[in-house]
Amino acid sequence: MSMWLEKALNRANQVQDWLSPVRMQALETLKQEKWPTRKTEAWKYTPVKPLERAEFNHTAQANVVDVESIQGLDSIDLVFVDGCLTTPIHSLALPEGLTIDSFESASTDVQTWVSEVFGQIKPKRHLFGLVNDVLATQGVIIDVNAGQKIDKPIRLIHLQNEGNEAHTRVLVRLGSEAQASVIEQFTGDQNSFSTNVAEFSIGESASLEHYRFCLQTNEAMSVGGSHFKLHEKSQLNSQLVGYGSKLARVDVDVEYAGENAFSKLNAIYLLKDKEIFDLHSTIEHAVPHCVTDETVRGIVGDHAKATFNGRIHIHRDAQKTLAELSNKNLLLARTAQINTKPELEIYADDVRCAHGATVAELDKSALYYMMSRGISKADALIMLNFGFINALVDEMPNEAVAEWLRPILRQRFKAMGSE
Amino acid sequence: MLTINNLHARVEEKTILKGLNLEIKPGEVHAIMGPNGAGKSTMGFVLSGRDGYEVEQGGATLDGNDLLDMEPEDRARAGLFLAFQYPVEIPGVSNLEFMKAAVDASLESRGEEPMSSAAFLKKAKEACAQVNLPLAFLKRGVNEGFSGGEKKRNEIMQMILMEPKLAILDESDSGLDIDALKVVADGVNSQRSADRSFIVVTHYQRLLDYIKPDFVHVLSDGKIVKSGDASLAKELEAEGYAWLEGYDIEENSEASA
Repeated sequence: MSMWLEKALNRANQVQDWLSPVRMQALETLKQEKWPTRKTEAWKYTPVKPLERAEFNHTAQANVVDVESIQGLDSIDLVFVDGCLTTPIHSLALPEGLTIDSFESASTDVQTWVSEVFGQIKPKRHLFGLVNDVLATQGVIIDVNAGQKIDKPIRLIHLQNEGNEAHTRVLVRLGSEAQASVIEQFTGDQNSFSTNVAEFSIGESASLEHYRFCLQTNEAMSVGGSHFKLHEKSQLNSQLVGYGSKLARVDVDVEYAGENAFSKLNAIYLLKDKEIFDLHSTIEHAVPHCVTDETVRGIVGDHAKATFNGRIHIHRDAQKTLAELSNKNLLLARTAQINTKPELEIYADDVRCAHGATVAELDKSALYYMMSRGISKADALIMLNFGFINALVDEMPNEAVAEWLRPILRQRFKAMGSE
Repeated sequence: MLTINNLHARVEEKTILKGLNLEIKPGEVHAIMGPNGAGKSTMGFVLSGRDGYEVEQGGATLDGNDLLDMEPEDRARAGLFLAFQYPVEIPGVSNLEFMKAAVDASLESRGEEPMSSAAFLKKAKEACAQVNLPLAFLKRGVNEGFSGGEKKRNEIMQMILMEPKLAILDESDSGLDIDALKVVADGVNSQRSADRSFIVVTHYQRLLDYIKPDFVHVLSDGKIVKSGDASLAKELEAEGYAWLEGYDIEENSEASA
């Protein structure tokens, strides 16, 4: 057992709020969990050592920070600083059909449904998910009424400062035929640790556009995930971007709870220096006639290390499933590392599935084509390599978000060493 | 402008060009016709510097400079442009970004300032309209998901923006319907000038109804076996290649098989 976890368990005993009954159950499970070592399959390539003895401040007094808006995007912004929600929840001007609560502002009605959903969408036995269950006293609850189409994206911004530890929680519920867009954005580069768990329940024929920008880097450690439950005929379009840090792990999970649901999942990672980034994804096809299209691409430079573990589990009853999973990687240096493990587990006999993982090779014909236009080899390589991930940015449904992201990624890409 | 002298070149172990001679003066349009496997595309690849094409003998100069000694990008900067028969798709690199990088590279090599984004965008929009492609194509990935005809028009758009001294059009007419063919031909004709030359590689006389060549050459088995004026193309259309002196039917039927 790590010193850090021991202290976390002690703190968990002091948490007292309306979620305490569910937290107590999680605490019991957490006490049974073992601290991950190299022998723990799910953490094989991502050592949690940097956290083992780390000590952080837990009672940070957050100051309100001005957050840059995304040009051309009229979004509803909520800001967390070191795990504290600094946006006054009652000051938000919300469109009809949308309710946003903090844990503190939740009415008894909200408390009732949240208590039923809390922890039910994310995987049951993820150590840091359980840590979040017991310690996340700050969070937001987003509820979109049935049939409501919310045009303004809801943007949740998490800033992490030096020396602080934060645990935040997000619960989103889309009623049947509702539509919404949620952007989760994380930044910080100083020595710190945060967990963030987001659970999304997408109602019948509802549609969610989702972005998770995990841009913590350098010394900022983070573990978290976005977890989705899709009901009949619902749709999810989720776009993830990840940087690496001393410890960065993200889980994206989808569970199909109703037939004819569809999810498109794209993910990009860009790693430099000695960064570590670990993306785990599990798609549970428990019912027939659902479609998954998952594309993951990464560029890894310097001494960085990426891990992708993507699992698609097609249950015995999930006939007529269509599932595709692809992971392509570009290594910029011989010292860069990628551990990729796409897994298809199929127990139904009438399904169409494909998966693949590659370390990308340079497209020589594209290189010649560019050089035949006068572009130098060095410049052509930069354009081609950046194009490799920009092709996924091009697929982002919100053009303003893509436009905002491109120069940020380009900047980072320039800083990545190719040996 | 371009002088090709006794050029021999091979791909892997197979010699394709076997003594090609060609002299092109400023402002001239030369059509090169010939059967499959004659070496028409190879000529374009060798001149533009594609990997894997090895020159065995002979040479080629552009304005007196040894073309074959230059890197592919330097040949382009020196004013050579090849419109590809099969343009390459580059997802994630926008057409606009690609073309600006190309134009800027040539400007910089001449010691000129790169164009401002606004100025280039204006020029690119005009070129896009000229080849009858929707403006959205500027934002799309290079050739990504374009139809065959759209790719060919995109090549012509690049040619217009790059303002080369010598443009080689490698079967820019193949797979085009008559409207698209006219667009391509109009694009080329709009660029004809006293100091710009063209090599138009084609199988069909049809394109030459729209782009009037000064000279027509027949390339067969790696060398030019007959040259003439525009009327030669009409003869070829009517008679095929078999009547030409030095044309080996057996070898060429093999090559095209």
